[in-house]
Amino acid sequence: MKLSRTILILLAMLAFQPLRGQEEITIRIREGMPMIPVAMPAFQLNPEAQKSETAAVVYDTLWQDLEFSRVFKMVPREHYAYIPAFNPNAIRFKDWASIQANILVSGQLELTADDRVIFSFKVYEVTGERFIFGRNFGGKKDLARLIAHRAADEMLKHFGERPLFTSKIAYISEAGNDRDVYIMDFDGQRSTRITFSSALDMLPSWSADNEKILYTSYRNLSPELFMFHIYSGKTELISSGGSNYAADWSPAGDRIVYTSSKHGNAEIYLKDMKTGQEKRLTFNPAIDTSPCWSPNGREIAFTSQRGGTPQIYVMDAEGSNVRRITMEGGYHDSPAWSPDGMRLAFVSRIENRFDIYIFNLKSNEISKLTENAGRNENPTWSPDGRHLAFSSNRSGRYQIYLVDYDGRNVRQITSRGENKMPKWQRTTK
Amino acid sequence: MKRFLIIILALAFILLLGACSKKAAKVEPVQGPAVETVDEPVAQVEKPVLSEEELFQQKSLEELNKDQVLKMIHFDFDMYSIREDMKPVMQANANWLLKFPSVEVLVEGHCDERGTIEYNIALGEKRAEAARNYLVSLGLSAAKVKIISYGKSKPLVTGVDEATYFQNRRAEFVITKK
Repeated sequence: MKLSRTILILLAMLAFQPLRGQEEITIRIREGMPMIPVAMPAFQLNPEAQKSETAAVVYDTLWQDLEFSRVFKMVPREHYAYIPAFNPNAIRFKDWASIQANILVSGQLELTADDRVIFSFKVYEVTGERFIFGRNFGGKKDLARLIAHRAADEMLKHFGERPLFTSKIAYISEAGNDRDVYIMDFDGQRSTRITFSSALDMLPSWSADNEKILYTSYRNLSPELFMFHIYSGKTELISSGGSNYAADWSPAGDRIVYTSSKHGNAEIYLKDMKTGQEKRLTFNPAIDTSPCWSPNGREIAFTSQRGGTPQIYVMDAEGSNVRRITMEGGYHDSPAWSPDGMRLAFVSRIENRFDIYIFNLKSNEISKLTENAGRNENPTWSPDGRHLAFSSNRSGRYQIYLVDYDGRNVRQITSRGENKMPKWQRTTK
Repeated sequence: MKRFLIIILALAFILLLGACSKKAAKVEPVQGPAVETVDEPVAQVEKPVLSEEELFQQKSLEELNKDQVLKMIHFDFDMYSIREDMKPVMQANANWLLKFPSVEVLVEGHCDERGTIEYNIALGEKRAEAARNYLVSLGLSAAKVKIISYGKSKPLVTGVDEATYFQNRRAEFVITKK
């Protein structure tokens, strides 16, 4: 996957700041911060752990997480061979500095008689030759991946970044003739089916506390909006009458927005989840759909066909102050607001190709995230805003892929059956 | 002398045989029993062609839908207005529905795959709504026509050409009550 450096400047985009129409635009390519080189020698294991695969699972998962982060960069393991073997009791920092490591992670893993894992890790700064922080995690053996994800999240937090490795993605997978809601780790592992209706379920969306999922189901022969409580198994009907879909939970967790045609036409509604009070936000005979909250909860991006073709608009959360974001091209939908509030990802159809684009709300620049490979749909941001998940049929059937914010590191994370409509949690728990 | 006698006898025998055969050829053919004609008068009944009403009464909902008594219509790309060439189909559907006022129908709106999931639900709904409005304009009671949109989740055919997409951009009329 090559980096899509082509920054398309659509002059018409200046409508977002109309007075700048005559000014020259500076193209600024976001290169990202330099990544921190990390070395992680093999863990110290107790005899039980030496006989088990578990240590390798924790080590490999932690390694892959740090490599994935775009914050850290792993020093290749082959380089460790050039220096004396790691000794946790007498660390020779100069050696590690010589192979360009800035951070050293030292791990110790024990497997207890009752099949629990105890993983301790210590993080050192190589140049300062000092201990920075360390944590101990314990848990059942089959949660080895989660233990590694927790450790990786601690690394991010300590370096001032938002954690993401313990976050989950909700998605739709086919189960026989049905389509049901599933959840999985961000890397596609440990998936769990959570709805079992014998009808079409679609477009899942997480609650702010990550304990509930809104989704649309045809189980009663019309598309209704349901809320599923993951840890109690309870299902509630949220909206019915006409079609009810494309729900998005406010970042504060108190309100939802969704599309409904309960009064005849596809309009956007806001519902207070505490009082149950509903407010209609759009009043237009055209199609209004796909609402999505800004991270500060003050604005809502949505798709409207009021200008003739589906375009992305932004309005205040009260429904006022509507302004159009996309101007060029005939078909845009599925807006997703980045966690930093600066960018909108969306799907554009250009000459019958569906690709994901990112619009920078500050600079009015558009960059293309996916490049002419199948149909790419339903973008959703990682909690830290450095990655996106989307679904694509580039390899035949729809599967879920991850990609970095700049188009790098595309990887497929599902492979069984057909999987689509990913929705990443807004935050880790 | 003896030999002469044998020849005479042989000749006489041959002559006799010839006389006999001549005599047999003259025998009249034997007459068999007379053919009795078997017949009966055709009952003068005509198998009645079932009227549309009777067919309607006879068939189950499933059969009516399977026989596609109501024909689906197709739409232009990204559009939800009724095409000119689909209006006769709609007229025929309306005529049939007006004949059977007890019938309730569900109009299913569908889209081709060249749209996003969210937008296609809305577009499919607009198509179903346009079809319903057209039926109502032809005299049908709006209360008898319900609509649903499946967006692009239930394609009729698979493929990646315009003919396929055209087939999938449709409104189907499902009889839900007769």
